Amino acid sequence: MATLNDNVFFAGISDLVKRLRAKEFSAVELTRAFCERLEKIGPTYNALAYSLKKEAIKQAKDADDEIKRERYRALQGIPYGVKDLVAVANHPTTWGAKPYADQVFDDNATVVNKLNKAGAICIGKLAMVELAGGGGYRYPSASLTGPGLNPWDRTRWSGGSSSGSGIAVAAGLVTFALGSETSGSILTPSAFCGVTGLRPSYGLVSRHGCMALSWTLDKIGPLARSAEDCAVVLQAISGGDSDDPGSAGKSFYYGPEYAKKPKDVVVGYAPADFEEWAEPPARPDLQNALSVVKSMGVQIKEVELPDFPYGAILSTVLNGEMGAIFEKLIRSGRVDELADKRQIAGLKASLELPASEYLKAMRVRSMVQDQIRRLFFNVDVLLAPTRMGPAPKVTDRLDAPSARPRPQSRGLNGLIPAGNLAGYPAISLPCGFAEKLPVAISFVGRPWFENQLVALGAAFQAQTDWHKRHPDFRVKLA
Amino acid sequence: MAITRRELAGLLAASAAVAAPQGDDEETRSAHEALEQNAQQLDKIPLPMATEPACHFKA
Repeated sequence: MATLNDNVFFAGISDLVKRLRAKEFSAVELTRAFCERLEKIGPTYNALAYSLKKEAIKQAKDADDEIKRERYRALQGIPYGVKDLVAVANHPTTWGAKPYADQVFDDNATVVNKLNKAGAICIGKLAMVELAGGGGYRYPSASLTGPGLNPWDRTRWSGGSSSGSGIAVAAGLVTFALGSETSGSILTPSAFCGVTGLRPSYGLVSRHGCMALSWTLDKIGPLARSAEDCAVVLQAISGGDSDDPGSAGKSFYYGPEYAKKPKDVVVGYAPADFEEWAEPPARPDLQNALSVVKSMGVQIKEVELPDFPYGAILSTVLNGEMGAIFEKLIRSGRVDELADKRQIAGLKASLELPASEYLKAMRVRSMVQDQIRRLFFNVDVLLAPTRMGPAPKVTDRLDAPSARPRPQSRGLNGLIPAGNLAGYPAISLPCGFAEKLPVAISFVGRPWFENQLVALGAAFQAQTDWHKRHPDFRVKLA
Repeated sequence: MAITRRELAGLLAASAAVAAPQGDDEETRSAHEALEQNAQQLDKIPLPMATEPACHFKA
């Protein structure tokens, strides 16, 4: 058996595909090495929900057979993991929550079938915040598997709710992972763990077989090593699905040649985001990232988000839908088995939200969509820090109010809930370090504008190497 | 002092309620306050009657 260098664990998809086809190592060797690493390191960061090693090795043998016969597929032999709200047939899918610890589905989620078809090898279910945190959680420990620990510093949080997905990519336990976002759950762990994350347009990727938290907000998307890797995965998982009522029936094809050149792209940003909203330790690298974007030759325009209480709107929509989805859990009393008290109280209270309040929020959401659509008349993309600072401590209260004075200018503050309410895609790109922890910027684009987002992300990553950095793990595997 | 079984049960129930962790009540109150605060913020937005919810029924 070939000895795999540490660099394979942090290699990108195209590099691994090339090396597999060149028979530098086999898919079985690669899969076995990743599985051992995931099983050994994953639990120490609370990243692993369930290992799929046995099935993965079997799939890898098939991949090797195909490679021998020169029958190639886009993601052939590439090891990946899925957030534990994505169903893998006949294996536990816990949704990160004790009441569902023994739950097993008969069928794969559509995205797993699509990745199987592309030749990718699912090696594990990855830990997550319980029920994707819909009830509002107070502490990072709100998970069946414990708090997601940041691979850059174990005393810091990984971000959530796709915690295991962020950790596993950052720590080189998988080459890419799937996460889900209702409001920030792909972008946040991507930013805190220093990986690239892509939140697709609402409806581009099927959610069939995935836990529902909010039918009108949920999206499934990739976390990976680079913008281009995210594109390769998105191309494999996108497409219409009659089993998902929210499916837009659209596909994604990555063609950088069809994207506007940077000089033709108008980037909207708010100086206040980088100078006032950003936490002081994060400002130098965030501002440097802004300079890099400017140096790409893009046209820059200062903008502000329309004035709406985005958090309140999103929370009301989410409460209305989540209460209906988890009504049985709440009324049965099993909701009390969850780990986080605030989450429990939030889920219980969601049942008391009047229908009129939900509909009011959905009506205001129409106004938000209209206003954001108008904002994009003047710009092609928005640029902002993904999060205003690095990951908090794992023991920090996540709902503690900020001690810093609120800046005068609104800037693009609230872009995560606003973008999710409008269903717009976003890409998060690592752009530096604050307190030795990753920080990131995001581009947000119009619906179905993923090609442009990826092209901009790739241009940014061609000029920087933040996405290539990884925590120093030197683990001896038995 | 003589005490009936019913009175004893009442006393035990009351003391149990006092001993119950305050945390849960506080969390419940805080969750309701959050819903109320959201409602107050939404109330400030003028909504024309023609503004329909951002979801569409399909026949």
